[in-house]
Amino acid sequence: MTARLPGRPLGLIGQIVAILLLTVLIEFAISTLLYERASQFAVRDDEARRIAEHLVISRHLIAERATEDRPAMARDLTTDRYGVTWSPARPNSAPISPPLDGMRDQIIAWEPSLANTQLDVRLASPGRSSVVTGSFQLRDGSWLLFRTLEPVHGLNLATERIALALIPAAALVLLGGLAVGRVLQPLRQLAAAADRFGGSGEEMVPEQGPADVARVIAAFNRMQARIRNLIVDRTQALAAVGHDFRTPLARLKLRAEAIAQADARDAIVADIAEMEAMVASLLAYLGGEEDPEEPVPTDIAVLCATMVDNAVDRGLDARYLGPLHLESRIRPVAFKRAIANLVDNALQYGSQATVTLANLGADFQITVEDNGPGLPENMMARVLEPFVRLDTARPRDTVGFGLGLPIVARFVEREGGRLRLRNLPQGGLAAEITLKRR
Amino acid sequence: MAAPNILLVEDDPSLRTLMVRALRENGFAVQPAAAAGEMWQAFERGPVDLILLDVMLPGTNGFDLCRSLRQRCDAPIIFISARDSETDRVVGLELGADDYIPKPFGTRELIARVRAVLRRPPLARDDGDEGQGLLRFDGWTLSLPRRELKSPTGAIVELTGAEFDLLVSLCDNAQRVIARERLIELSRARLGDSSDRSVDVLVSRLRRKLSGAGRDAPILTVRGIGYMLNVPVTRA
Repeated sequence: MTARLPGRPLGLIGQIVAILLLTVLIEFAISTLLYERASQFAVRDDEARRIAEHLVISRHLIAERATEDRPAMARDLTTDRYGVTWSPARPNSAPISPPLDGMRDQIIAWEPSLANTQLDVRLASPGRSSVVTGSFQLRDGSWLLFRTLEPVHGLNLATERIALALIPAAALVLLGGLAVGRVLQPLRQLAAAADRFGGSGEEMVPEQGPADVARVIAAFNRMQARIRNLIVDRTQALAAVGHDFRTPLARLKLRAEAIAQADARDAIVADIAEMEAMVASLLAYLGGEEDPEEPVPTDIAVLCATMVDNAVDRGLDARYLGPLHLESRIRPVAFKRAIANLVDNALQYGSQATVTLANLGADFQITVEDNGPGLPENMMARVLEPFVRLDTARPRDTVGFGLGLPIVARFVEREGGRLRLRNLPQGGLAAEITLKRR
Repeated sequence: MAAPNILLVEDDPSLRTLMVRALRENGFAVQPAAAAGEMWQAFERGPVDLILLDVMLPGTNGFDLCRSLRQRCDAPIIFISARDSETDRVVGLELGADDYIPKPFGTRELIARVRAVLRRPPLARDDGDEGQGLLRFDGWTLSLPRRELKSPTGAIVELTGAEFDLLVSLCDNAQRVIARERLIELSRARLGDSSDRSVDVLVSRLRRKLSGAGRDAPILTVRGIGYMLNVPVTRA
């Protein structure tokens, strides 16, 4: 038997119902308070006195008449200010008409003879004009109804009342909104985490909020862990295959040297070199995630210039433009690979590569330009995805798996920078990396 | 002089055979071993001049093996590894390995690296044992085990293999002129790099990298003779 968990959070619906209930209760309490306060409203003394006198006179005059003459008398007693009606039976008071006890007390204070007449003074139809209605019993059991025809001075609380009623309502809407927002906050966290998922690092969302939401978050966390494990397993398996590949490649390389026929040997050596490059780029791509390399202060300018020198040493046309030195914290091996990939790419598709380094103060920017054919706009994003090659229009002369740019994109993402590809007006492609200077 | 005796520890039988053949054809005496046990036995058969050690042996970690090897003998060690991650390389070199050959490699590269390590004066090794193998000049720090140059502000300054070797040669002969021919000879010792760049280009690149804050690099050209590092070098 499992006991009900104490303090187990309510479900989503439960919480929202609770919020609604709370809101309604508070609104009810505030309205009641306001309603109560209306009864405390007092009129100016002369106003109360005038009403009191009019009531006493009306009572006197109507009581003197015979029953059939009473309505006519009541009409006669109706002035510009007060309306008087006679009724043989007790009138129903309007459903929403807060009693004005304060005013009643004022009237009785002036005319104590009205005290025992079940005098009832109410605010008619609150919210519109402040018309006071009332009734009291005559000695013979019939009733006299009266109402003010002009708004009563000092009682003109319509706008005040609306405002007063609106303030708690508005506050409650706000409060309710905030409360619902708080309940849904974990869901938003979940959405944000789901959006970030796949980036660097694992992010467990705290299991909080309503029971349903907490369950969704727990399920999401488990799914995240499963996906992560799956990826790690696959990555490790693929990396292991990559590493294992290198032993037979080493054997092949040594064996190829024994081939007497020069052209066959050269072709085989070239094939081995291509396989080697493929394995290297695959491992570089897979290795990014588990790479334990830490950012260290590095001379970015020297590194860029060295990558250019390496290309020049291979007999290629490359240039470096930029300062002699620029230091920033970076993962040097990954950075070197990224720049080398961009330079290789530029020289793959163009005949000349220009690496430009610009110090932008808080940032620095490396641009690698080529004089090749550029990229169709619809390919700009695709080339950053792994295993995509632009071989359709070109002979298949690229080395590797088409992982050059994806490796760069991964590196830049990991460093929190931006990678932008754009076509140059004079033709050719520019790859632009912007990184924070740290 | 007798052929240098090389102990080869490699678990892949075919690769081991191929390497043994390649080394023997180039005039080395080779003792093959498939695993750590065989390796220790080989030591009992005679002195070893150099150990070629595969980092990924079944059952043992090549790095641990390297550590225990270092306690028993000071023959130079060259790692062979299918992993070419820079971190592995640095860890290996810091553990006292003398070089690191990533798979796959050709005979030329293998032989060049073996020869280069054997040619290295044992004195340099002793230096490495005593200190941390750091050379300091003019604020710059050159780490021999990591093959790394740090600027006066502590930033890593990228050097190619040839540039590093050239700078080490200049440091070894600090405040003395080294003839161009001698430098060319020294840089030839490094075949793996196969850079046919002339020493002058390398020197000009080094100068560019070693210049800083309005100061010229401390490398002087002595016309008609060679080059000189004109600042003192301290070792740590």
